[in-house]
Amino acid sequence: MKEIKVLGTGCANCRATIALIEQVAQSKGVAVNMQKVEELRDIMGYGVMSTPGVVIDGKVVHAGGVPSRDKIEQWLAAGQA
Amino acid sequence: MLDQAREVCPTTTRRMSREGALLVDVRERNEIDRLAFDVPDFVIMPMSEFERRYSELPRDRDLVMVCQIGVRSLKATYFLMYQGYTQVANMEGGIAKWVRKGFPVKVDAAATAAPAASSCCNSGSSAGSACSDTSASSATAACCGASASNSAACC
Repeated sequence: MKEIKVLGTGCANCRATIALIEQVAQSKGVAVNMQKVEELRDIMGYGVMSTPGVVIDGKVVHAGGVPSRDKIEQWLAAGQA
Repeated sequence: MLDQAREVCPTTTRRMSREGALLVDVRERNEIDRLAFDVPDFVIMPMSEFERRYSELPRDRDLVMVCQIGVRSLKATYFLMYQGYTQVANMEGGIAKWVRKGFPVKVDAAATAAPAASSCCNSGSSAGSACSDTSASSATAACCGASASNSAACC
């Protein structure tokens, strides 16, 4: 299961990012554990200045703006058999 | 996880500035053009440029991050901590609180002419002239420090 954290202080783009990742994961049948990180100190602990940020299995893969569906599919496909 | 950021009040910031700390203003340039800190030494590094330029900031000097109300500067503080800076603090309350304290600022009369005319500075001719005087920071502070509500309206 992929551990996915969405970093953001609760803005519309952050909510859209969470929804899109959940949607893509469901359509691809990929099990994910989603977590919202909303505290500024916790967000900055990843060195991300632009939100939303996306962290997958501990690695920052995205910062700033809602990621594209293609990009999310690539993230979820990585490491899948 | 990052340590809790060090937060300092405007009074402490002013003292630190006198003792050699560098103020780093992360507001955008149009905001600073309207109202700026009047301190011995400060750097303008807007948030829109911060990630690209932060390495220009010295690591061996006390830095106090400032903005309008202390939120953006807190983010910048944590970013610098993430990048390994240790002598960094955030000024809570931003320039809004600094002004309420009556501490010195520089006001661009042209940039603030419209709001000034409709707020604190049209209440009397002497106050108006003091507020409009861009060179006299003490006069500006006097205008803007008259009361908290007037400060907010004027500045």
